[in-house]
Amino acid sequence: MENLLQQLLNGITWGSIYALIALGYTMVYGVLKLINFAHGEVYMMGAMTGYYAAHALGVANAPSLGSLVLVLIVSMAACGLLGALIERVAYRPLRGAGRLAPLITAIGVSLLLQNAGQLVFGADPKFFPSLLRSEEVLRAGSIAISNIQIAVLATALALMAGLQYVVQRTRFGRAMRAVSYDAPAAALMGVPVDRVILGTFVLGSMLAAAAGILVGLSNPKIDPLMGLMPGLKAFVAAVLGGIGSVPGAMVGGLLLGVIETLVTGYLSSTYRDAIAFVILVLILLYRPTGLFGAPQTEKV
Amino acid sequence: MRARPLLGLAALLAFLALLDAAAPRLLNPYYVTILSRIGIAVIAAVSLQLVNGFTGQFSIGHAGFMAIGAYASAALSVFAGAALLEAAAQLVPLPLARFLYFPVALIFGGLVAAVAGIVVAVPALRLRGDYLAIATLGAGEIIRIAILNIDAVGGARGFSLASPAHPAIDLRFEGLGGVLAVALLTIGAIARLVYSGGGLAFRAVREDETAAESIGVATTRVKVEAFLVASFFAGVAGALFAHSEGYIHTNSFGFVRSFELVAFVVLGGLGSLSGAILAAATLTALPELLRGLGEWRMILYSLLLIATMLLRPQGLLGQRELWPISRLARGAK
Amino acid sequence: MSLLEIRGLSVRFGGLTAVSRVDFDVEEGSLVALIGPNGAGKTTAFNVITGVYAPSEGSVRFADREIGGAAPHRISALGIARTFQNIRLFRSLTALENVRAALQGARRSGVLDVLRPARWRARELDAARQAHDLLDALALGAFAAARADSLPYGEQRRLEIARALATHPKLLLLDEPAAGMNPAEKQALRELIRRLRSEHRLTIVLIDHDVSFVMNLSDRVVVLDHGEKIADGPPERVRRDPQVIEAYLGSDAEGAA
Repeated sequence: MENLLQQLLNGITWGSIYALIALGYTMVYGVLKLINFAHGEVYMMGAMTGYYAAHALGVANAPSLGSLVLVLIVSMAACGLLGALIERVAYRPLRGAGRLAPLITAIGVSLLLQNAGQLVFGADPKFFPSLLRSEEVLRAGSIAISNIQIAVLATALALMAGLQYVVQRTRFGRAMRAVSYDAPAAALMGVPVDRVILGTFVLGSMLAAAAGILVGLSNPKIDPLMGLMPGLKAFVAAVLGGIGSVPGAMVGGLLLGVIETLVTGYLSSTYRDAIAFVILVLILLYRPTGLFGAPQTEKV
Repeated sequence: MRARPLLGLAALLAFLALLDAAAPRLLNPYYVTILSRIGIAVIAAVSLQLVNGFTGQFSIGHAGFMAIGAYASAALSVFAGAALLEAAAQLVPLPLARFLYFPVALIFGGLVAAVAGIVVAVPALRLRGDYLAIATLGAGEIIRIAILNIDAVGGARGFSLASPAHPAIDLRFEGLGGVLAVALLTIGAIARLVYSGGGLAFRAVREDETAAESIGVATTRVKVEAFLVASFFAGVAGALFAHSEGYIHTNSFGFVRSFELVAFVVLGGLGSLSGAILAAATLTALPELLRGLGEWRMILYSLLLIATMLLRPQGLLGQRELWPISRLARGAK
Repeated sequence: MSLLEIRGLSVRFGGLTAVSRVDFDVEEGSLVALIGPNGAGKTTAFNVITGVYAPSEGSVRFADREIGGAAPHRISALGIARTFQNIRLFRSLTALENVRAALQGARRSGVLDVLRPARWRARELDAARQAHDLLDALALGAFAAARADSLPYGEQRRLEIARALATHPKLLLLDEPAAGMNPAEKQALRELIRRLRSEHRLTIVLIDHDVSFVMNLSDRVVVLDHGEKIADGPPERVRRDPQVIEAYLGSDAEGAA
């Protein structure tokens, strides 16, 4: 029983990471109907910029909450910019060019970032500085919760709550929802669609960057290819929750994290990566619109 | 009776046999390897073109089928090859038995891959566009991870064709002529398939599925057929790869390989066999010839792909064909 | 027994009822016009007949055979062909290829044909000739090698009809074939439809907005409004039907009687 709870805890922790990344996918898909394959690499860049920022700002050896927050802010800002750059240079020119070209370009950007990352950062893994001194905060029987886990959960929750606020309560959020629902109509109503799309990319990238930092905190080994698998899995999470749905991405991410952890814990760890794909295949077979998505019919 | 095509065929066969024998003597073995790899890339690219370029379905997990072909044929060779050869050697001289074994191994790999193709295609093809792409990506990854976990074919250590039971009978094929022959057969088969009146069904599905259905084209069946044929030839390419390299590992069949294949067909022009061939040949040869490229190869690919999508989305040839395929294509008009 | 019998047909999409309890018959060899204001459900009815949608309720019988819910390619094989409101040609294929694609239909050459060149070639030549003949019959011969999307608008519409005819249908559904045409073109189209009817012994159902276009072309007119049938009879009677006039005057439709 206690093992189960521990697994659940781990699952939710990982799940919240997936959720943060999945949100970026789902928001971009909502406004652009594009699968931003490069998103996983933004997450990787988040971890990388966090690494370099921590060293540059001199906080790499000064673990504290403040250090964490500082690095988070710097990394999120940098990756927000990166996201905006990608949108502007690679996707915007292809607006209206059908579905295929942007998809291929997205794959191209993804690979570009991976390989450029290997070139620039070096292919060897780096060790993310411990921005928080790892301590066991709580213990109930054999269940241990470290402060790092709390930090990860708290940060993720705070960011998700923040996003929910932006989406539901701000003008930008309304504009984003309008563009997701019907972009041409939104444009006709005076919504600055280009800026909304840019903003969506920035928001999503910031969340991915935060996810990168949080992962760096809990699994310090980072390398330029670390975005590939989590990126794909977060995408699966977004599809699971219903691509285009913000609450769907959150639920999907948490669900995927829990399922993955439980299966690796109780069955086998060698198939860990395959689980996400199996879930993907099952979802696409039986409910392609996901848990929260709405079915679409094509007009003939 | 038409003598000319038969003569041409005989000449071609003679040339290929000559190539097989002469190449290792005339060319630096490194170049033979490159040419061999080009041949394999061309086969795989042309097979993918059938699905992506001609039928308009976006499959991005194609390397998975190559993996199946490679591992299935390698398993055949390692576990049964020597026994088969010995049995055959009772009836025919050993060199002939070896020669006959070659297509057997390839076709076996192709067939197993084709079965996998159907297993993937039937559920996946209910989806459209982005969702289909993701499903094929997922399928490719599942295949790779599954093979990685099968210890009998090496698992994480990779799989070597050096048969422990009968080391004297070498099961590798290094013949360039063989690779070329298979490549030509593949191109011929797919070109004939696509540029026939019946092959119009593929392109009809690509252009407009609803309209295609309205004229009696069973679109789902056509898509599955495309997948079937494509995965068969991808399996053949994988089998060729396994038997020319002598050692395989799932790392060669991951998403990067799938992406390379997608790059070949897109850069060459979606809907052009000639384009896919040119792109596959050029992009396989370049990094081998330009030594310093190394890590820059993938960066080059991705930049090329992005630039092509932004500046010339139809790729090199769009839907046009070069001679001699263009004659076939025009014949269908 | 009519060639096409529709009974109690209803089509619903989620909360929207596009077609509501519609009945009508189409006699073999006749030309029936299906008219009504925008959004009346005409194209939806076509889509159900051709299998794109399944009926939510009711039945569609063709040649005494229930076809409601069948797959479109099966329905095509049974002898129903159609054109589309927004032209759906195979745009990057040539005019000839568009027609040939329909000739082949379900039969296809296989990969193994690589091994039978002579017979394959004969079949190909025969199909090409049939396609050429069909193009010529619709005055499209000059465009045979041209890309479908390079044809002028009127020619594209005719090409779609040629493609539909290539399936040798018994029933032809034309969805707004005269859309976007000027009066001279419409007249030519009317002549073409009459000729097709007699030469191919076709049964035709025609959707159009333009009431005057269909008036002296059709044997019967069926009028839909908001998914329901509000009139059904010979053209002269329908054009004077007060409900029909009301439906048209109540919305922005061209050519109301």
